[in-house]
Amino acid sequence: MTQRDAQAWIDVAAQAKVEDPTLSPCIGVCAMDAASGLCKGCLRSLDEIAAWSSASETQRRAIKATLPQRRSLILDVP
Amino acid sequence: MSVAELPATLKVLERGWVSSNNIVFLGREQSAVVDTGYGRHAAQTVDLVGRMLAGRSLDRIVNTHTHSDHIGGNAALRRAHPGVQIAIPEGDRGVIGAWDEAALHLSTMGQECERFDFDASFTAGDTLVLGEMAWRVVASPGHHMASLMLYCDQARILISADALWENGFGVIFPEVDGDHVSQGEAFAAQQATLETIAALDIATVIPGHGAPFGGVDAALERAFGRLRYFMTQPERHARNGLKVALAFLLMIEGRIELARLPQRLAALPLAARINEQYYQLDPAALAAFVVAELEKGAAAHCREGWLVSGKQTAAPD
Repeated sequence: MTQRDAQAWIDVAAQAKVEDPTLSPCIGVCAMDAASGLCKGCLRSLDEIAAWSSASETQRRAIKATLPQRRSLILDVP
Repeated sequence: MSVAELPATLKVLERGWVSSNNIVFLGREQSAVVDTGYGRHAAQTVDLVGRMLAGRSLDRIVNTHTHSDHIGGNAALRRAHPGVQIAIPEGDRGVIGAWDEAALHLSTMGQECERFDFDASFTAGDTLVLGEMAWRVVASPGHHMASLMLYCDQARILISADALWENGFGVIFPEVDGDHVSQGEAFAAQQATLETIAALDIATVIPGHGAPFGGVDAALERAFGRLRYFMTQPERHARNGLKVALAFLLMIEGRIELARLPQRLAALPLAARINEQYYQLDPAALAAFVVAELEKGAAAHCREGWLVSGKQTAAPD
């Protein structure tokens, strides 16, 4: 898989999850990007993943709303 | 869905459909985690559990059953917390001791897991103290015959692993896998497991995958219905097992080249066994069949010669 292909796949898979406000945005990549401190799949920080199950729907929506713009922070595609 | 507030000594790390959830307990004296996710995600599991422990060391790992998505972080967590004690279900001592890759679903499903040694085992009827709460160990044969659940009557919480999800339950693997494929006995065991759950007073279920949920009666109704359907039409259950096997591979790899899919499926003993019993298709036809099934449920999509995970309609830029 080329980097561009992997990127395209992750973007679309992540987008589908972002559209549902109540679901976890996890797409099963589950590896942290050291430079940004974000998961390479769902783009959440460790704290955001750790707090997800106790977060309110408002908090979840707020986290999800910021995810698309974080993609450019990940330089290293899994 | 309203979920009763969970006790302060219990934290759920909700993972995805590859890694199981990890349930962290912070007792006054002892910390513990129930289930440790899939091997490839172990570094993140160690980080997340470490976040929850906030500088404490991890004292115990408890595995509800020994499938790769529930035990994959054991070895890495032990490296990070060398004093940790690992407890597995009594009925899994043999497969872990011998590291039986077929029984652990490593070879049959094309999965991977770093080997670990266990320190203790536990069984139905035992009581485990986790997070200052007493948890009764409850047998849950079906998805895996040795699988165990944990029930706290004080907090009315059931840790159900893969015996009950908000929508369904894990594949009843003994019906489709192993040297001696079950002829309905594992379905009957799952029925008994659901009946056992129905007899418990439960406010919150913490499943092996997905968010914690209330409304156990509605979840049980869905599970009983699904099980009835599978019992009368075991081919539909086998078909679901095939889909799950490929979906898992797809989630791990991101995408699979369609031209290579027939040989990838043929290399999965679980898929080969199901094909032999129900379909007798040649490798290419089997691949086309499973792909069509995944596409029907929007679990996967074909694009430019690749099978990709999820709802993918846009072309890459």
